[in-house]
Amino acid sequence: MNLDKLLETGDRCIHKEPPACTAQCPVHLEIIDFLSEIEKGNFQDAYKLMEKRIPFHKIIGRICDHPCEAPCERSKAGGSIRISDLEKAVLEYGAYKPKKVWPVPKNKGRVAIVGGGLSGLTVAVDLDKKGYIVTIFEKNNRLGGQLWNFVGDALTEELLQEELQAIKDKKIAIHLETFVDKNSLTELLSEYDAVYLGTSKWEEPITWNPITFQVGSSTLFVGGGLVNETDSVIFSVSSGRRAAISIERYLSKVSLTDSREREGVFETVLRFDISNKASLPAIEKSGVIYSREEAIDEAKRCVKCQCRKCIEGCAHLRKYEMSPDAYIRQINHNERIILGTHYANKMINSCTECGLCKEECFLDISMKAVIQETRESMTERGEMPVSAHDFALKDMAFSNSSRFSLVRKQPSKEESKDLFYYPLISFSDYVKGLYKGTGKTEYLFYPGCQLPAAYPDDIKSIYEYLVGHVAGDVGIYLGCCGAPADWAGRKDLINENIEAIKKVWEEMERPTFILACSSCIRIFEKYCPEIKVESLWDIYIREGLPNKEHIKTPQTLSIHDACATRENSDLHESVRKIVSKLGYGIEELEYSKEKTKCCGYGGLVYFANREQCDAFVSERIGESENDLLVYCSMCKDLFVSGGKRTYHLLDLIYPKDNIEAATRKTPTLSERHQNRSQVKQILLKEIWREDPMEELMAEDYTLIIHEDIQKSMENRYILMEDILMVLKNAEEKNERFCNPETGDYLAKLRRENVTYWVKYSNEGEAFLIKSVYSHRMEIVEE
Amino acid sequence: MKHESNDKTKWLCDKCQRELELAKVKVRYMEGNFEVDLMKCPTCNQVFIDEALALGKMKEVEEGLEDK
Ligand code: SF4
Ligand code: SF4
Ligand code: SF4
Ligand SMILES: [Zn+2]
Repeated sequence: MNLDKLLETGDRCIHKEPPACTAQCPVHLEIIDFLSEIEKGNFQDAYKLMEKRIPFHKIIGRICDHPCEAPCERSKAGGSIRISDLEKAVLEYGAYKPKKVWPVPKNKGRVAIVGGGLSGLTVAVDLDKKGYIVTIFEKNNRLGGQLWNFVGDALTEELLQEELQAIKDKKIAIHLETFVDKNSLTELLSEYDAVYLGTSKWEEPITWNPITFQVGSSTLFVGGGLVNETDSVIFSVSSGRRAAISIERYLSKVSLTDSREREGVFETVLRFDISNKASLPAIEKSGVIYSREEAIDEAKRCVKCQCRKCIEGCAHLRKYEMSPDAYIRQINHNERIILGTHYANKMINSCTECGLCKEECFLDISMKAVIQETRESMTERGEMPVSAHDFALKDMAFSNSSRFSLVRKQPSKEESKDLFYYPLISFSDYVKGLYKGTGKTEYLFYPGCQLPAAYPDDIKSIYEYLVGHVAGDVGIYLGCCGAPADWAGRKDLINENIEAIKKVWEEMERPTFILACSSCIRIFEKYCPEIKVESLWDIYIREGLPNKEHIKTPQTLSIHDACATRENSDLHESVRKIVSKLGYGIEELEYSKEKTKCCGYGGLVYFANREQCDAFVSERIGESENDLLVYCSMCKDLFVSGGKRTYHLLDLIYPKDNIEAATRKTPTLSERHQNRSQVKQILLKEIWREDPMEELMAEDYTLIIHEDIQKSMENRYILMEDILMVLKNAEEKNERFCNPETGDYLAKLRRENVTYWVKYSNEGEAFLIKSVYSHRMEIVEE
Repeated sequence: MKHESNDKTKWLCDKCQRELELAKVKVRYMEGNFEVDLMKCPTCNQVFIDEALALGKMKEVEEGLEDK
């Protein structure tokens, strides 16, 4: 896996980018944190943030010209946050006595500061703190420069005196009433290691580097009014601080220009969409400054501008509280570990690969693609936990084994005449025997593996419908498209599977595949685009629906689109047309069509992290009061298991009288296998008149399995077949333990890479199953 | 991964009709090979693993090794 490319993708994510307010604040106060602290009533913590970022925070906080406010996103919905007023409130309610700081030894070089105004004082204090010997030259008889112009209600003379006194207390050398001109500057330059020029005017034009404030390559640095050409106090301290950084770098002989792009004001690349927030007017002050309560309310109006688009839509990113930038860094780390634990494995296997994140991201960052590549890399390097996808891959192998897999051409013309009904006139009656075929397999119906597992009774009906409606012979192909292998990152398996499918396609002279499963459509488009596919739902719209029976109770349904169909807008339309034609109303979900969510099955999350899967299910089913309508059988099963009334499109097209379709019990894992085999049997027997294949297992044993055990079987991925094999082995070879007190037996059998255990007792002829469990670890019995 | 089943006294090897004994047993998972004390039949060497062990400690070790 190309980790540099991966990190580049992560770097594109703007989740961590500052909001406009912070970017436009010349000293970058962390405004989101600042406001969050106020919101919580933590004025002292908010104060600490001011102290950390703003030079002379007690002064500046009271007189700042707040360039942060104009660009505030809130201005589009009620008015900018009054950051400056909040700073004043914080100075009032959050100030505390500063801790005594011990002066550092002054041994790092001598710096002269020309001009004791705001910018000069900032440079002086910053460099003094770092261990430089600082000397200030001021032409007036007091420090402070233009600060004195601000003395008034907000900034009292007393406070200003106090702050200036603090500078004097630092034992910074101060020469008042010392005018520095061109000549004396030259002297200072030769006498000191560096000179900062912070006067508001200078007798001749000078040019400086706009990033470093250095004049040419000399030891002279400038800032303040000279540079800013405004009397903004915040720009003044900001330029002073930046010049101090340059001086320090210069004297420490490190690069002056490295990573300084984000000093001062800059344009943030963050894009924040406030359009869905209600407008809230600014809180007015009842006094000169905000009261605590008013400050808290005002801070609450901040929408905390941060890109969370993808996170908001995704139960996975929210469960792990991960933004793609952080996620990608974790993947990078996980990929690089050689010795040690791969902590991110489980997270990586908890993404459904649904693709909503990319849809939500205006930069098209796709975690789906990242996760897919990561899983492929993990399996290639043998780092993928086997247990995560083992069951699903075995299920896929089952579907492609002789127990389900089947390829047949449509029966011959003569046979077809007897077998199928064809529409005489499209909307009225059907007659038997008007053969529409051509003898060539124009279409191959490929229902996938999950639909036959859940709707075994409908596959034959669909096949008959297709034979009767589409022009040309329709063959059938039962199997699994390979979606589980794709999700598991098993390139080897998926490629093998696709080759097998292509072989059938070639042998059948390249028919169009009719697909009923959204995952199959996705896999065919991704891996064998040369095969022409049509969705069953599109065909229903083109050829007319098979049943004229109308629904008993019309109702409004909300459609949950399968995530695999995200980019297939034609399919979305066909489904909606079918639902309308059948007489149902539709109420769209907020996340639908190209913005649909995953039910939780995608990416095999159902197997890798059940809790995560449940989180997807419960979020989705909570999004509508209506019954849901789905067209993927996994979506249906998960939603029904989650307690939501859910119809599959087939429930509506092929209604059954005897069952309540919206709550129909989900087939168990074992039943899915049986159902698939049964579909093959029925088709072979009733359409191709072939002998049914021999049963895999003679059902010699009668088992009694109560519901709690059924549940364990599901949760532990134990099939009926596993239990039968364990029993068979135990009974035939007597390989088991017995408990004379209870009469129970405990038997085990290793099948492939799993050992299955069954505790049971004999109930007459039957076996009562008391517990089932398994482990992967192998016990060496010797 | 030492484990003593709470109902070890009651179980017998059905084939040999012998009581189980605690013994050193080799277990294997992925690249890991180690020895643990488990209950087994002293005659035919069948090893006894109960539900709590399989789903508790054993699973934990399996997951740990899978993430190594
Ligand atoms: S809403 Fe809050 S985070 Fe966004 S720009 Fe305004 S103050 Fe900054
Ligand atoms: S689950 Fe879907 S939305 Fe969430 S990260 Fe994965 S692909 Fe993106
Ligand atoms: S939508 Fe997600 S991936 Fe895209 S920039 Fe925002 S946080 Fe990053
Ligand atoms: Zn024995």
